[in-house]
Amino acid sequence: MNRTKQSARGQYLLDRGASLPLILPATLLVLVFLVGPFGYMTYTAMTDLSYANPDQNGAFIGLDNFRHLVRNDSIFWNSFWLTIRFVVVSVTVEFLLGFFLAWLIWRFIERQRLLTTLLLVPMMLAPVAVGLIWRLLLQGDFGMVTYYLHKIGLLSRASAVFSSPDLVMPAIIAIDVWQWTPFVTLIVLAGLMSLPKSPFEAATMDGAGPWRQFIDIMLPLLRPIIALVLLLRGIDAFKEFDKVFIMTGGGPGTVSELLSIYAYRVNFKNWNLGYGAAVAFMVYLVVLILCSIFYKAVYWKPSARQARAR
Amino acid sequence: MLGNGSTIRMLTITAALSAVMTLGPVSHAAAWSLEEAAAPYKGATIRTIGEALPPLEAMKELAPEFEKRTGIKVEIEMYEHSEAVSKVMLDLNSKRGRYDFIIQPHRELGKFVTNGHVVPVDAFMADPQLRDPDFKPEDQLYQRLWKEISWYDGKDYGFPFTALTMYMWYRSDLLSDDHEKEGFKAKYGYDLAPAQNWQQYRDIAEWFTRPDQRLFGTALQGKRHEALWYEWLNFLYSFGGDMLETKSGSECGPVVVNSPQAIAATEYYKSLKAFSPPDTLNYFWDDVMALMQQGEVAQLIMWNDSTYAVAVDETASTVVGKMGFDLVPQGDGGKVAQVEGWTYLIPTESKNKEAAYLFVQWMMDYDQQLRQHLHGGASARPDVYASADVQKLPYSKASMESNEVAKPKPTVPLSGEMTDILVRELSSYLADEKSAKEALDTSAQEISTLLGSCAPMKYPVE
Repeated sequence: MNRTKQSARGQYLLDRGASLPLILPATLLVLVFLVGPFGYMTYTAMTDLSYANPDQNGAFIGLDNFRHLVRNDSIFWNSFWLTIRFVVVSVTVEFLLGFFLAWLIWRFIERQRLLTTLLLVPMMLAPVAVGLIWRLLLQGDFGMVTYYLHKIGLLSRASAVFSSPDLVMPAIIAIDVWQWTPFVTLIVLAGLMSLPKSPFEAATMDGAGPWRQFIDIMLPLLRPIIALVLLLRGIDAFKEFDKVFIMTGGGPGTVSELLSIYAYRVNFKNWNLGYGAAVAFMVYLVVLILCSIFYKAVYWKPSARQARAR
Repeated sequence: MLGNGSTIRMLTITAALSAVMTLGPVSHAAAWSLEEAAAPYKGATIRTIGEALPPLEAMKELAPEFEKRTGIKVEIEMYEHSEAVSKVMLDLNSKRGRYDFIIQPHRELGKFVTNGHVVPVDAFMADPQLRDPDFKPEDQLYQRLWKEISWYDGKDYGFPFTALTMYMWYRSDLLSDDHEKEGFKAKYGYDLAPAQNWQQYRDIAEWFTRPDQRLFGTALQGKRHEALWYEWLNFLYSFGGDMLETKSGSECGPVVVNSPQAIAATEYYKSLKAFSPPDTLNYFWDDVMALMQQGEVAQLIMWNDSTYAVAVDETASTVVGKMGFDLVPQGDGGKVAQVEGWTYLIPTESKNKEAAYLFVQWMMDYDQQLRQHLHGGASARPDVYASADVQKLPYSKASMESNEVAKPKPTVPLSGEMTDILVRELSSYLADEKSAKEALDTSAQEISTLLGSCAPMKYPVE
């Protein structure tokens, strides 16, 4: 009775506008730290602002920066496609490897706590630290990994990983895989551990083999988890900066100049902030498209006809 | 009598006035003291920022003495080169005034001046309360260097923190070894000695390239980093090339970076890759310095402010006593080196400009300059190089000679972007992405577009 009264009073207060003070702090945070800066970035992208050139003092130039970026900036497009290749390859390898490891742990290992703690180590390291560690490990003269690569003949003694244009991106992808596969493993493992048993038992009773169960039961049940992990890794990989900047600085040449490194150069080397904001806006746009694709994938449900067909 | 008395009195007054006028500056000089000049600012804290290298570390060691004498606290922030530059840029543009004085590479000067971020120092110099009468930069500093790295458009914005330049480092023990000399002469037909021209430099590099003994003829700073551009400039200038056809760094002029001399210099530069360690395309100055400290390189072109750590510091180097230094080898451009330096500047938004000026002025004093130089600094005062202690440093002669023939480089507001274009294109050439001509043509086109009508291309690209 008392509870019903309280509930009614609460509803009354909410109806009378008391909800506003409750959501205000969170709304303010979002406005100040997300909407505000994004709005400012969007506006800056439509100006000629430069900290280096006194003639470019932030005059409004409409979409000129975007026009130049899309039509004339070959370095931007080179970086863009390089970043796309980096994201696709590294996230795919991380996902396959991470899924496989998670499945192995889930299936065969009883005491998972110690192993999962150990798995956390690479992803707990700051990306800058990862960059520095691997820069030293792969250093051409004193690097420990280089020494063993030479010893087992995988790398010619006359070459070094970060000075060989053909090896730089594979090495960067391998390091990213080393760092982030555990993240995929942990998320997928959590998903596997929360799977209900009854569908598998029923499928076994119906005579479905392990592969059939994997394809038709496990994967559909894990779909939200898989989409989440791909989304998070995709966004993160698209923004990759620290490791590559420390290890190669985008070189040699433009071999490892990812979009984030290009944006850094435009903004913080050349101080061309208007154009740099346009580059950053494009990064945001791609991430937004990625998010919406994955969001659709998570909430995608087969239509009634498709379900019947299955 | 009156007349006589009056004349005598007049004479006495005149004599007294003359004495006052003559002795005035002397007595004022005697009267000026740092303690008194700093009294109004006692208790203030001045903050600065610079590159974490021996010259700044030496300044940090000296600062407590200034603090003790003046009661002005000095806070020094040290960062890696790029970090020290970008932090300043952000602070200046945010107008927070975090730094009371800054220590920056002189290529940034045009950007700071044209955007109104720094103030000229003439007002402080003209203030008798602040100006130490013994501080006479017009007599005491390398004039050309001072005017190039601390002046812009005819105005003085500061004083050189370091007089930097690059010259040739070589292993004197290897070059004077009888066995090596004999073998070298048999192969190349002339005596082994520090290279005087680029042909000799390449021969020596080739001769000492012995990967199985962990010894290489040279090491290029081939990473995509400012270090690559700085190193390449030595080759460019020596071959008779340049970036812009101008007389001073603050001028804009025709772009000549794709001249035949520049292309020849760049091709020669890359040819040395064959005599460098395998990881040479990932090296910048720290890496090649470490290689020299480990005794793995026979010769290279390097900075004077890194020399101390290799030639003197026994805790860091295995080649102390085995090093020699000389000017960069000569090409068609003759004896040349490059003007470079970090300069003291006072930001417009500085909250303690006068106290900052007093500290800078104190640092420019002979005693401080000498002590800073002996601990890894690179003074802009010729009298410091005349000191017996400095003469004992094995690199003093090369340093002085290089300062005397050093060529200026652009300090125009967009010089940073020019550097970035050249670093990218040179790195692409080293990575075999394009030819030297393509790389320099692209650089010239982009630099010309960047600088506008003041910078037409002298060697147009078809």
